[in-house]
Formats: sequence, C-alpha cells, structure tokens
Amino acid sequence: MAGVAELIDRGVKLYTAGRIREAREAFQRAVDLDPSNEKARAYLLHIRDAVPAVTPFPGTLPPAPAAARPSSAALPPIQPAAMQPPPTAASRGADRPNPAGVAALAAAVELAAQEDAHGEFAPSPWEDGPAGAEIQLEATGGLDLQAVAEKSDLRPLVPEGAPPPAAPERPKSDVDVWLSAAKELFALGDFTGSLELIEKILQVDPDHGEARDYLRHNEATLVSMYESKIAPLTRTPRLAIKPEEVMWLNLDHRAGFLLAQIDGTVDYETLFALSGLPRLDTARILANLIAEGVITS
Amino acid sequence: MSDLEPVVGIDLGTTNSVVATVRDGVPRVIPNRSGQLLTPSVVAVAKNGKKLVGALAKRQAITNAENTVFAAKRLIGRRWGSKEVEDARRVLPYELAAGPEGHDVRVVLGGRTHPVAEISAMVLSELKADAEAWFGRPVRRAVITVPAYFNDGQRQATKDAGKIAGLEVLRIINEPTSAALAYGFGKQVEKKVVVFDLGGGTFDVSILDIGKSVYDVVAVGGDTYLGGEDFDRRIMDWLTFAFAKENGGVDLRQDKMALQRLRDAAEKAKCELSGSPNASIHLPFLVSAGQGKGALHLEKQLGREKLDELTKDLVDRTIAVSEKTLKDAGVRPNQVGEVILVGGMSRMPRVQKAVKDFFGKEPHRGVHPEEVVALGAAIQAHALTAPAAKGQEVLLLDVTPQNLGILVVGGYFQTVIPRNTTVPTSQTHLFTTVQDNQTSVRIAVLQGQSERAVENELLGEFILDGIRPARRGEVSIEVTFEISADGIVGVAARDVDTGQQQSITVTATSGLTEDELRRILDEQLDDLLEKKATAGEWEERRARATAALAEIEALVPAVHEALERTRFGKDAVQKAEGVVSRVRAALDARDVGALDREAESLDRTLQLFKGLAAQAKPPRER
Repeated sequence: MAGVAELIDRGVKLYTAGRIREAREAFQRAVDLDPSNEKARAYLLHIRDAVPAVTPFPGTLPPAPAAARPSSAALPPIQPAAMQPPPTAASRGADRPNPAGVAALAAAVELAAQEDAHGEFAPSPWEDGPAGAEIQLEATGGLDLQAVAEKSDLRPLVPEGAPPPAAPERPKSDVDVWLSAAKELFALGDFTGSLELIEKILQVDPDHGEARDYLRHNEATLVSMYESKIAPLTRTPRLAIKPEEVMWLNLDHRAGFLLAQIDGTVDYETLFALSGLPRLDTARILANLIAEGVITS
Repeated sequence: MSDLEPVVGIDLGTTNSVVATVRDGVPRVIPNRSGQLLTPSVVAVAKNGKKLVGALAKRQAITNAENTVFAAKRLIGRRWGSKEVEDARRVLPYELAAGPEGHDVRVVLGGRTHPVAEISAMVLSELKADAEAWFGRPVRRAVITVPAYFNDGQRQATKDAGKIAGLEVLRIINEPTSAALAYGFGKQVEKKVVVFDLGGGTFDVSILDIGKSVYDVVAVGGDTYLGGEDFDRRIMDWLTFAFAKENGGVDLRQDKMALQRLRDAAEKAKCELSGSPNASIHLPFLVSAGQGKGALHLEKQLGREKLDELTKDLVDRTIAVSEKTLKDAGVRPNQVGEVILVGGMSRMPRVQKAVKDFFGKEPHRGVHPEEVVALGAAIQAHALTAPAAKGQEVLLLDVTPQNLGILVVGGYFQTVIPRNTTVPTSQTHLFTTVQDNQTSVRIAVLQGQSERAVENELLGEFILDGIRPARRGEVSIEVTFEISADGIVGVAARDVDTGQQQSITVTATSGLTEDELRRILDEQLDDLLEKKATAGEWEERRARATAALAEIEALVPAVHEALERTRFGKDAVQKAEGVVSRVRAALDARDVGALDREAESLDRTLQLFKGLAAQAKPPRER
C-alpha cells in the first residue's frame, strides 16, 4: 500500500498533469491515512481552492458538465498560482499569511468530502438534470443562453453601451506551470520528479533564468542526483548512436560541445574538467545524454 | 628487454613533446598512456581544480584560456622585460609576472605563481610517467633537446625542469643535431644537411656538416612566431567568415566553446589534408542561434587547393627564412646534400613542394617528421649509457648558440667566441686600458647577438686589478675564453707585463634560485607522501566497507523474509540497495571521496538490515 508521502507525491504529479480529480483523491487518501498530516491537508485545501480558479476567463463559456466531457484531458487549464507550496515552519510566519489555518484545513477536508458528490467543479444545474439534456427552459420560462451556446455555435451578444470587457488575464504558460510544480515536488523530496519538470523547461527554453536559478540554488542535491545517474565517474563514455545520427538529436550548443568531447578516451570526471561549464550543467547534460541513449559507458 | 636501466630521449617542444628510447638497438617512440605518440606541451588547472597535462589540457585551452599554459618554451630561461617576453605577453592569454628578483619570468596558473621551469617540468613528468608505464619500471635519466639558438640560461632552465621532474639530464642537445643524428643512424653519412623544422609554433632552419660520425651545426636561423598554429588560424578564420555569411552574421569567435571546437576541427582537417585531397568539417550544435532558436551546425568541405591558397604567404616565409640562413652561412642550395623535414607541419604537400623547388631536390622522407628529434635524443641517450660497438661511437659537436664576449668602452659588446663555434673551444683576445695610470679593469662577460652590451645577457663579471700604471693604450690585457664540452665557460684576464691574473667560471642560471628549487622538490616529496598516506587510508576504508557489504549480503535472506512478514516499507530497502550499489561502484573506482560520502549510509543500512533480520525471527527464537 502506498505511504502518505507517496500519495502526496502522486497527487502533485497528477495535479501538474491536469488530472485534478485523481490528484484530489490521492490527497484525500493521504489525509485518510494520516489525518494529522498537515501537508496532505493543505494540498487538499488548495486543490479545493483551485477549483474556483478554473472559472472561465471573461468571454469564454463555463465548463461543460462532467458527464459531457469525454476525458480529463479536455479539462480547462489549471491556474498553477492557486497551488502554493505546502506550509512549512518558516512559511507559517506572520510575513506570509496562510489562509489554510487549522480550521480551514478541517473545513477543507469536509468540503472535499462534499465535492465527491459533485465531481471536480461547483454544482451545476446540468448535474441535476438528465445527462446530455437538450435545451431546457428555466422555471421562470426564460432560455438558458449559456446552455444554448453550449449546444450550438450561438454566442450571446454584448449589449450596446455595455462597458468593454476587461482584457483577459494572460494564461500561464506550460513553462510556468512546470516550474511551479517542480518547486512543489522538490519540497516533497521528489527530486527526480522535480528535475524532470526542470528538464522539460530547459528543453523548451535552455536559457530560462528562473529554471537555471532553481538549479543553482539546489545545486549540491541536484549534482549528486545527476551524478548518481552517471556513476561511477571513472567510467569512459562513448557514443551509443552513429555519428551521422547526432544531427537529428535535439541538443543545445552546450550539449553539442560536451558531446564533441566524448571520444571514448576520457572518463566522466575528466569531462567535468574539460567542459568548462558549471558542474551542475555538465552533470545534467551527461545524465540527459545517457537517459536519451545518446551515450553509454 | 635490456637489463640496463632505461634511458630516454625527450623532444620538449613548444607545441608538442615526444619521448623515445632505443630498444634492442632500434630507436622508437614511446606512446603516451592514451596511445598517442605526441603529447601537447600544455598544462592547465581546469575550472573544477583538476590539473591537466597534455591532450586534455589542450582540449580546454580556449574555454579556460586564463588557466591554460602553452608555449612555455618561449619563456623558459628568459629575462623579464626582454623583447621575447614582451612579445609573448602580447599574444599569451595567461598571466605572466616577474620573478622575486625581477629578472626572470613567472607564470600564474590556478592562482599560484610558478617558475617557467616548473611548468615545463609538469610536461616532462607526464612524459616520464608515460615512459615508466611503457617500460614497467622507473625512468630516471634522459637527454633533452632544445633549439640551437637557446642560450646558456635557457639550457640551464631546461635542465632544472628535468630535475624538478625527477630526471637526471644526461645532456642537453640541439634539436637539429638530434634530427640529423636520427637521420644518420646506422649510415655512413658525409654531407651538408639542412634541417627544415616547421613545428606547431616555431620555424627553425639549421645547416649541419656531417662527417664520419661528427655532427657540426654550421648555422641556424628561423622565425619564432611561425608554425602549424598559424595555419590552423587561417582555416579557423575562413570557417568563421563563411559561417557568419551563411547564418546572418553569427560570429563564432564570440563563443569560447564554439571556438574551441573550431580550432580542434581546423587542426584535424589540416592534418587530413596532408593525406587526402579533401576534408569534411562537421560540427553539429556548434553555437546557439539565439533565444529559443536551437543550435546551429557547421558543415564545410575544405580542399587542399583552398588550404594552399589560405596559407601561401606562410609557406613563402619559410622559404625566405631558409634562403637568408643559407646566404648568411655562405651555402648555396645546390650544395646541400640532404634536406631533413622536421615537425608535423612539414607533412603538408605544399610545404614539401616549396622545399623541393627551393633546394632543387626531394626532401628526405625516411623518418617521421614529428618523431625524428626525439629519436635522435634517444640515440644520444643510448650512446651515453650503453657501451658502443667499435666504429659505432657517435661524436656530437655542439656549437655555441650565441656570441660570447665582453663589455668594452662605450657600452659596446666585443665578441671573443663567435656563435656557431664548435665546443669545446678556447680563444684569446688582447685588450688595453682607456685611461692613463689605470690600475684595474672590469671584465663583464656577455652572451648575445647585439653590438650593444646592454641588450645581451650578462653571464658574470670580475675585476682585474694590480695592473701596471702606464699611459692609456700601453697596457696589454689578454682575455681568454674557454668553453668545456659541458658548456661551462671559463674567462681569464691577464696583464701580459706583470702576469697579474684573475678569472671567473660562469655557470648558467635559469632564474630559479636554489631555495626555490629545493622548495619545489620538497613540495613534490610532500605530494608523494600524501599519495602514500592516501593509499593507506584507502586500504583502511576499503576493508571497512567490504566487511560491511559482506555482513549486509549475509542478512539479505532474512531481510526478504522480514519484508514478507512485516509491513515494513519497501522504500527503505530500495534505498538501502541503492547505497550498496553506490558503495560497490566506489570500490570498483577506488574513489575515496565517494566511499566517504556513503560511509554513514552504509552503516545505517547495516543497522537497518540487522533490525529487519531480527524481526524475521519468530518471537520464540528471539
């Protein structure tokens, strides 16, 4: 059976993958297993808080009822800002007010239990009606315009003279979501998961400042992690693919430089000396090249 | 293998060094531990603090330029403030400093200031270690080669480098002499020979008379800033401009990593073109194209004709220098019996053609140009240590590399023994006084090529007093210079009338004081002792870790049983297995640091396994 830490870890990963329902279930199970676990309870609370954050942007339509969605992959993007790091002794200080107090935590657990009945979102009239309901008249006899729009290409017109809609909030990019989640995972001690996300960011943007800062601040831990993937450092790496296939890889110039130094005569430790790059970068590039099957030893 | 203690010959080059020996009567080059015959004369302290020597140091020379020392040979034994040092300072990326007394040059490497001899010693130590690995036994004696124009100070500094490296330097010999020796090995040669040495950083041309096993350097000339690196730079420039043109002005020179790869590729292509008409230069992911745009590749074909076009003026310079040297020595090209090519750059077909056209004959191709100098040194080392068969003795006649003389009135330099004089030698000149009733004279012994005394090297000085009082010009003072076969210069001055005499023996100095030499040798001894101590510590830690691993392995069945019977987390066991695997890897790699890092985890794992094994036992057995 999975432990509490494992459940929390799983929850965070599910959350970053957009699988909110499963994430909440994981946190819930963690709380069930260890009701005193503040971390699990805080996450549960935050994930509940995250729900309103999926409120559609102005000008967009509300989410379809759960029954109408084919899979969780179609979920609207989660606002990562809603997910804060778990409370720590330091973060519970006065300088950082934490809305997730003890009472709030208790409420969160209770709320989460209620939400089970309603799915991931706030209760919707659709959930009360028959699944896949056609356009229905409200009790007052009016037409549910949103429902009409949902089922057709019709869009409500903006009344003349109405104030112009506020500029839509810029949606957070994937990179921002990954960075936020990487921090979460690191705080949970899941360095591998955290690194995977940082890697994703650096693949998209090798010069991403915050991702590089993050790597720098956690250097000692990360270096030993990367090195554990390379170890032992006395081994001599060599190319595991044909030289002409190198062109088809997706590398940055730093990785290109390091790869050019791998000629079957120098060991990993010497590559660290040759690279001229910070040890963390060298270790990261080498670990990636190994993971991608580009080099072997 | 011979029972005699091995001796080696070392070509300590500006760009590359080679070590060779004579085995079973055959001279041969000793490959380094990477299997290469050439070891770059480069020393570095990498950014992670690791000391690198040879090919590895060269491979990071551009990315870590300020802590990579190359071409130390340009500086060895030179005076701080001399033209040569000032020229070098303009082009070298690493920091130089004046020695403690302000006379000699020091190199700043890895935050420490080193005498140049110590840097050269690092290269020699590497070659010594390569030779020891090849022989499987210690190597303590060597013959080392130097350019023919090296003065006594530079030769002494090279000897000091050998001493620091733990080598007894049997002899310092001139590079062209050494090359000619290898050429003449096993042959009866009597002819005038030109040694055309186009190396990585310098070009030397020497004329030798070889006759009945006597090797006499008649004249030397050259250009100390002309070599293979200049050819590489032309290729790099061509690639850089072509790349910028094809990629919207991206300048590879702005990226050190790109530049390093470019230099390595240029050198490789140049070498390839000596054997084939075309070379492919293929550098994937060379440089960033900018934010989020990925990396750019360089793909280029370089033909031999293009290389000839790019480097035509460099080849022409070698011929111009050769022409001048021959002219100075009064030798016509058609009087030259053989041209020996030395240095990797002389493999270039265009260079060989230019040599052939100038001298009117095909250059000699019997000995590998990169190896020939080291092979000659090995032959000399062998001749000095092994009893030669009758008729096979080799007599090396070295010559004075520069004029030797004294300071005369007006600050001028009067030559007593001209350069290229075969040693041992003795020559006498008469001098006189410049003032009436002058009773003493100052004899300042100098070496160099300039007419102005101040521009030459001061080897030593003394005062001759007790001179008979007389009108100026009436006193005859006889000054005699004697140079022994070991290069020791003795100078004597005698008042011809009174017989009053004074003399001095000049021993060349490298700029390295005795105290410094002792300190460096002491430090090396400390390093050696530390390594021995480390070996002891390693054994202790290895024994402890091996015992813990054995104990853990013995507990494994009980632990598995416990896992089945208890709800103990498998995570912890997986972590423990990780620790065991890392400890095994550290033992395999003899990595003391890694073993230390895992020591505590290993101990915890042992305790954990002991605890689990105890749980596996039924209660009644406890």
